[in-house]
Amino acid sequence: MIATLFLAVLLQVKVPDAALLIGQPQGTPLTGPQLERRTMEISSELRCPVCQGLAIGDSPSIMAANMKAQVRELLERGYTEPQILSYFEKSYGGFVLLRPKFQGVNALVWVLPLLVLAIGFVLVVSKAKKLEAAPEKPAEEPTDDPYLAQVREMVDKQ
Amino acid sequence: MNRTVLVVGLIIVATIVVVLFAGLGKDPQRIDSPLVGKPAPPFALKAVGTGETIDLEALRGKPVILNFWATWCGPCYEEHPTLVANARNLPNVQFIGVVFNDEEPKIMRFLAERGTAYPTLLDANGKTAIAYGVGGVPETYFINPAGTIVAKFAGPLSTEELQANLAKALR
Repeated sequence: MIATLFLAVLLQVKVPDAALLIGQPQGTPLTGPQLERRTMEISSELRCPVCQGLAIGDSPSIMAANMKAQVRELLERGYTEPQILSYFEKSYGGFVLLRPKFQGVNALVWVLPLLVLAIGFVLVVSKAKKLEAAPEKPAEEPTDDPYLAQVREMVDKQ
Repeated sequence: MNRTVLVVGLIIVATIVVVLFAGLGKDPQRIDSPLVGKPAPPFALKAVGTGETIDLEALRGKPVILNFWATWCGPCYEEHPTLVANARNLPNVQFIGVVFNDEEPKIMRFLAERGTAYPTLLDANGKTAIAYGVGGVPETYFINPAGTIVAKFAGPLSTEELQANLAKALR
C-alpha cells in the first residue's frame, strides 16, 4: 500500500490546478471533524458519473472516491462550497449537480410542479364556486299524472 | 367535458410529449462536455515504462489525441489496436494515453502484449481525469494545435470516428 502510494506520488508530476477554473480560495481552510462533515455534505450534492443516480458520497466506485478526495482537498485549501460545485460543473457540466440550478431548461424542474399545482388549485376553486352559485333545485311542478303523483308520495314518505 | 379542463389537460400532455420526444432520442451515456471550446487543462505526467515527463503545454503547435483508458476496461481492449494503427499512420498528430485507477505492472503487461506507438501516462489519483470530466473509460479528447479542446468522444473509437473528430482539430 505504502509502495503504491509512493509510486503514485513519483508518477504525479503536475495535475490540472483547480485555481485555473475557479480562481483562488474564497473561504477558510478546514481541518478535523469539520472537514469530514463538509466533505460528506458536498459529496451528497455531486452525482457519481459512473453510477445510476448516486451521489459520490454514497457510491463505492473508485471514480467517486477520487472525486470525494478532490472535494476534501479543495476544502482543505479553503475553497467554498459554491466554488467546489462550480469546479465540478465546469469539468462535467450541469449533470454532475444533483440539485439542478434554477436556470435555462433546468428551471422547468422547479417551475412546472408549482405551475401544475397552481392550475389544479384554480380549477378546484372555480369548480367549487360554480357549484355554490348553482340555482337551487326548482320546486316540483304539479302534475296530472296519477302514476307520477304516486311515486312522489312514496318518495316523500321515506 | 368541461372545456377548461380539456385545454389544461392538453397543455400538460403536450408539454410531457415534447419533453419526452426531445429526451428519448438521445443516448443517455452521451453527455456533451462543457470543456469543448475551452483550453485543455494543463498537466505533466510521467510515462509508464520510460519515466519520461510529458507536459501537455509543451505539445502546443500540433494536434493532440488524448485517450483516457484502463486495463480493467473491456472496450479499451477493443479500441487499442485502432489507436495504435492511427498513431503509426499519423506522425504529425500526438497521441497520448492516460491511464487512471490502475497499476503500472498491469499497464506494462497490457502494452507489451498489444503493442504501443505513443506515450502512456499514469494518472495515479484520477485528478487529471476529473479535470477533464471523464465519466467512464474509454474517453477521448481532441485538442487543436492552439491547445483548445475541440471534441470529446465517449466509448471505443473506430478509425472513421477518430478521423472525423481529428478533422475538427485540424480546421
